Amino acid sequence: MGEAPAAATATSVVGTVVADAFRQEWGRITAALIHQTGDWDLAEDCAQDAFTQALRRWPRDGVPNRPGAWLMTVARNGAIDRLRRSSTYRAKVEELAVMATRQTGTDHPEPGADDSGVPDERLRLIFTCCHPALAMEARVALTLRTLTGLSTAEIGRAFLVPEATMAKRLVRAKHKIANARIPYRVPPASALPQRVPGVLAALYLVFNEGYAASAGDDLIRRDLCDRAVALTQVLAELLPAEPEAKGLLALMLFHRARQAARVNDRGDLVTLEDQDRTRWDQAQIGVARRHLEAALAGQRPGQYQIQAAIAGCHAAAPTAQATDWPRIARLYQHLADMTGSPVVELNRAVAVAMTDGPAAGLALLQRLEAGGALAGYYLLPATRADFLRRLGRNTEAASAYEEAAALAGTGPERRFLNARLAEVRSQHT
Amino acid sequence: MRYMLIHTADPDVAAEWDEDENWASFSSWVEETVRSGVSLQGSRLRPTADATTVKIRDGELIITDGPYAETKEQVAGYDVLECASLDEAVQWAGRHPHSWLGSIEVRALPDSAPAVPLPAPGEGKIRYMMLVCTDPAVDPREFARVEPVDPWVAETNGRGVRLYGSELEPPGSARTVRVRDSRTIVTDGPFAETKEQIAGFDVLECADLDEAIEVARRHPMARLGILEVRPFWPFGED
Repeated sequence: MGEAPAAATATSVVGTVVADAFRQEWGRITAALIHQTGDWDLAEDCAQDAFTQALRRWPRDGVPNRPGAWLMTVARNGAIDRLRRSSTYRAKVEELAVMATRQTGTDHPEPGADDSGVPDERLRLIFTCCHPALAMEARVALTLRTLTGLSTAEIGRAFLVPEATMAKRLVRAKHKIANARIPYRVPPASALPQRVPGVLAALYLVFNEGYAASAGDDLIRRDLCDRAVALTQVLAELLPAEPEAKGLLALMLFHRARQAARVNDRGDLVTLEDQDRTRWDQAQIGVARRHLEAALAGQRPGQYQIQAAIAGCHAAAPTAQATDWPRIARLYQHLADMTGSPVVELNRAVAVAMTDGPAAGLALLQRLEAGGALAGYYLLPATRADFLRRLGRNTEAASAYEEAAALAGTGPERRFLNARLAEVRSQHT
Repeated sequence: MRYMLIHTADPDVAAEWDEDENWASFSSWVEETVRSGVSLQGSRLRPTADATTVKIRDGELIITDGPYAETKEQVAGYDVLECASLDEAVQWAGRHPHSWLGSIEVRALPDSAPAVPLPAPGEGKIRYMMLVCTDPAVDPREFARVEPVDPWVAETNGRGVRLYGSELEPPGSARTVRVRDSRTIVTDGPFAETKEQIAGFDVLECADLDEAIEVARRHPMARLGILEVRPFWPFGED
C-alpha cells in the first residue's frame, strides 16, 4: 500500500483538472493557432498534443498556476516545431515567434484575454465554422470539432453517421474554407444581422440533437446539450449587442432545466403536463430568466427571445393548470407572424386548445393539415389525437394515435403514443 | 467571333485516363492556341465542392454550398477563343483533353463583348468564375423586368473587381463536343439537359469569398437567377 493508491488518486484528480481545462481551453487554443498559422489540422494536432502532455506531466510536476497559459504555450511551441520542419512556412514561424515573445513576461494581458494572455479568437472561429457557404451539416461538425474538441468518432456517433463519413465531411469543409478563401474573421457590424442567425441556427441544431434524443446513446446527447450551451454562452458574451444570442442561451437553459423530469425511471417520455415540477432545476431557470430579461431589454425581439419567453411561461407555472396559456398563445402568434413556420402554427394550436378548448385547437389544426406542409411529421397526428381524446371522440383519437406512432422515430416517443392509444381504446367501448 | 469553351469532367470517364498523357495533350493545346492567336484567356476551376451559389428571393440573400445544378459532368474550366467560325471553335474543342474526359460546350459570345486577356493576378487576391445561370423556378416572363446590368458592370470594372465577362448566346445555339473511342461526337445544345442553364459569366478578382458574395448579390440576376461563384484553380496549386 502507501504510495501507489495515492499516486493513482493524484492522477485521477489531475485527470479531472485536465478534462475541465479541455472544456475551457480547447476552443481558445485552436482559434488562436488557426489565426496565427491558417492551418486547421496543425491547430487541432497541436492542441491535442498539449493536452496529452498535460496528462503526462501535471501528475508529476503539479498543475501549473495558470493551466490555460501553460497549454497555450505548449501548443504554440509544438506548432513552431512542426512548422520549422517544413521550410515553406518560414514566414509563419517568424510570426509565431514574435507572438511568443510578446506573450512571455507580459503582466498586462490584452483586452479580452484570459489567463493564457491570448486575445479570444473564438468568435472568428465560430463565424468561420458557421459560414453560410458551408452546408449546415458541415457547419455543425466543424464547430463541434474545432471549438469543443469533440472527436470525429464522437460527432459521428452523435449524428448517427459512420466515422469515415464524418471525417470526409470535415476534410471537405476545411478544403472549402482554404480553396474558396472563406475569411477567418468576425464579419463587420453591417453584416452581423445577416450572419448571426446562421451561427445561432447551427448551435440550436447541436442543442436539439442532444435534447430531442431522436436516437443514440444518452451520455453523448447530454454532452451535446452542454457543449451547445457553453458555445452559446461564449457567443452571448462576445456579442453583447446581439439580443438573439442571449435569447437562444435563455431558451436552451429553460429546456435543460427540465431535462431530469422529461424521462421517467423506465426511460419513458413524460409530457410537460405530467412532469414532476419539483425536479426542475430552479437555479438554472433563474439564470435563464436573467439572460432573457437582458435580451428583451435590447428592444429587438427575435424568434429565440420569443421561444425563450414561451419556455419561461412554462417554467414559471407551479402546476400545469396554472400555466398562462393565453399569454403563450399570443407569443406563438407573434412567432408565427415572424417565421411563417408551420411547426409554430402547430404549437399555437396547442396553446389555443388550452385557452379556448380542444375544438378551437382542432379547427386550427385542420387548416394546417390542409396546407400539407407538415405531412409525415408525427406530432401533427399526435396533436390531433390529443384534441380528439379530450373531446371524447375516442375512435378517431385511436386511429390518429396509430398514425402518429407509425411516424414517430424512437423508443420513448413511440411508447408514449402507444400508451395513449391503449388508454383511448379501453374507453372506446 | 468569340466563343466560350466550357470544359466539363465526367468522373467515371476521367478516372480511366492517364494523367501524364492528359497533361501533355493539354500543354500542347494551350501552346498551339496561343501561338495561333486563338486563345484569349482561360483557366481551370476548383471542383464543384468549392462552389457557392448566391441568390436573392423575397429580398432575402440565400447562400448555398455547391454548384448551380447537380450534373454528372461538372464544369471544370473554361477558355475564350477568337475563331473565324463556330466550326473552327468546335475543332479546337475536339482536341482539348476535356473532350474525352467529359465534354466541351461551345457557346458564342455576342459581338458586343470585347476580348480581354487577363493580367497577372493582384497581390493577395483570388480569382473567381461567376456563372450567371437561369432558375427554372422563376417565370421566364419575369426576365422582361430584370434591371440592366450596365451599372453593375461599370461599378465592378471601375473597382478592378471584374476583369472580364459576357453574356452568352442562348443554349439552343450551343454545340457540345465529346470524343469517345477516338470518334468526335458533336451534338446540338448544352452539355447537360438541366433546367438551369448558363446565361453568362464574369471573372472576378477579390480579397476573399465574402467580397465575391457581396459583388454577386448586387448583380441584377441575383433576384431572378442563380449566381455560382467558383475559385480559379491555377496550375501548380494543390
